[in-house]
Amino acid sequence: MGYASDCRSSVLGHGEKDLIREVKRISKSGWLLGIALCCSVILPLRAQEVVSEVQVIVSDSINLDELSAAQLRRIFTMRQRQWPSGEPIKVYVLPNQDPLHQHFTKSQLSMFPYQLERLWNKLVYSGLSERPLEVYSQDQMLKAIGATPGAIGYLSKEIVLEGRGVKKLSVVKGDSHD
Amino acid sequence: MTKGLGAMLVLGLVSWSVCLAAAEDDTVWHGFVAQGVMRAQDSNFVNDSGKLSTNLTEVGLNFSHGLSNNLRVAGQAVYLDGGNRYPQGARVDYLFADWTLVQTADWQANMHLGRFKNYHWLYSSTRDVPHTRPSIVLPQSIYFDVFRDLIVGNDGLALVLNLDNSMGEWEAYWSYGSTPVDQEQMKNFLGKEANGDLEQDFVHQLSVYFRPRNYNLQMGLVLLDSDFTYRSESADFFLDGKGQSQRTMLNFRYNAEHWEIAAELIQERAVFRGLIHPAYVRDAKSQGGFVQGRAFINKDITAMVRLDILDMDKDDRGGEKFEQETGIPQRFAYMDSLTLGLTWKLAPQWKLQAEYHKFKGTSRLSPIFLPDVQLNDQKYWDMWAVQLMYWF
Repeated sequence: MGYASDCRSSVLGHGEKDLIREVKRISKSGWLLGIALCCSVILPLRAQEVVSEVQVIVSDSINLDELSAAQLRRIFTMRQRQWPSGEPIKVYVLPNQDPLHQHFTKSQLSMFPYQLERLWNKLVYSGLSERPLEVYSQDQMLKAIGATPGAIGYLSKEIVLEGRGVKKLSVVKGDSHD
Repeated sequence: MTKGLGAMLVLGLVSWSVCLAAAEDDTVWHGFVAQGVMRAQDSNFVNDSGKLSTNLTEVGLNFSHGLSNNLRVAGQAVYLDGGNRYPQGARVDYLFADWTLVQTADWQANMHLGRFKNYHWLYSSTRDVPHTRPSIVLPQSIYFDVFRDLIVGNDGLALVLNLDNSMGEWEAYWSYGSTPVDQEQMKNFLGKEANGDLEQDFVHQLSVYFRPRNYNLQMGLVLLDSDFTYRSESADFFLDGKGQSQRTMLNFRYNAEHWEIAAELIQERAVFRGLIHPAYVRDAKSQGGFVQGRAFINKDITAMVRLDILDMDKDDRGGEKFEQETGIPQRFAYMDSLTLGLTWKLAPQWKLQAEYHKFKGTSRLSPIFLPDVQLNDQKYWDMWAVQLMYWF
């Protein structure tokens, strides 16, 4: 991953030089060059993170094998607090800045991380509900979900789940109303 | 619900929750501390002198405690010092019992009893929490600081509903209650000459929010109806009177990955009877709202620009008729502002926010009913603020 990241930075570095040459050719105006330089600094910062695919996991106590995308969104936005069995749902997340959290939020919940953060803030600071429990690494996530009945979270696809008290949950795109 | 019953409910819940929190160790706590400086020259928005002020302190602590799968109690106390913007001191922003009435995979309904937050407007539910706001001072057309405590929450009953269907996500809030008005708030509204008691008889609100499936946008409709009664004292400048406020609000928010746009529009019918003389009636519809854009420049820095407009009478936007009838200068009939802001996330639980506001008009400067034309003698004035925030 480090090598891939270095290669990507290097390619983006050439891209910046090309962009500057192109901008100089099109216009000699200083302000346009300034805007282009800003973009060339900001945009690569956004593009450098490489994250692996994500899998949704639950504790072995959950008697489900799949969940609709809409239900997953209800759970992570803390609007569904119990499993169909009546067992309370314990939601675990990685910190907001973690690339896997950002990838999970965008790819599985179809939201941007800042929207999710704002929604949790509304719940916490108006007493409507509680925010998810935060863990600081995938290893902590795996241990916490394995040890907590009713827990749900997410991990990279490469993480092996066997013998850890957790299982993968398939997320069905669309929703239960379709 | 009467004011007395509401106060008793809140007191009862305070005692109950303090006992619970002391007895149990699975209670979840959160809080925030924020301190800043601000200056509003040529107006009394922050202080009467127009000098640099450190009256920008906000401290809060909240808890949530689950009693069972369907019953929870939650509360938040805050200490505020905002200069002239609202009364200085501690207060309970919310404290209520939350009962989950229905819970399925597609929808959930809850009932709240006690002092609950105002969930209805775009920013009303977290307007008292510094790091959740888009700016230190919210758009005054809607988030009027003089009525901060009245707007934050009510004592009474609320229903909260959320559901998912094939169209998208829906949220609906209904609430009925009232909020105590203290003497300082009453004087901030009516004028320093008022000696009586102002009571909110009731406030009734309904709001519906919709987020269409597969689109990052949200739309909301809010309806509000509230009555007030003023009981004058002996040697009072004002007579007994009644006030009525009926708001219709629409809001909209679109989220992109690196920017968002939000807007909230308001029309408010405000009726005042009595107060000046027994036959006095002022009945006007104000109109206004804001459009706000935010750019997430990188993961730590957010820039904001906002235009906020308010005309106190849609049939007299420039205030000519208002000046003829009351003798109060035209600038007190409107208040528009342009705001530029920057937020810097210093660390995971630290933020620094800075902003500059340019105002035209003075209609939202206290006191509202009998304005201070000497302190607020400029049509154009400006304000800036910087605030450091920590939360946990």
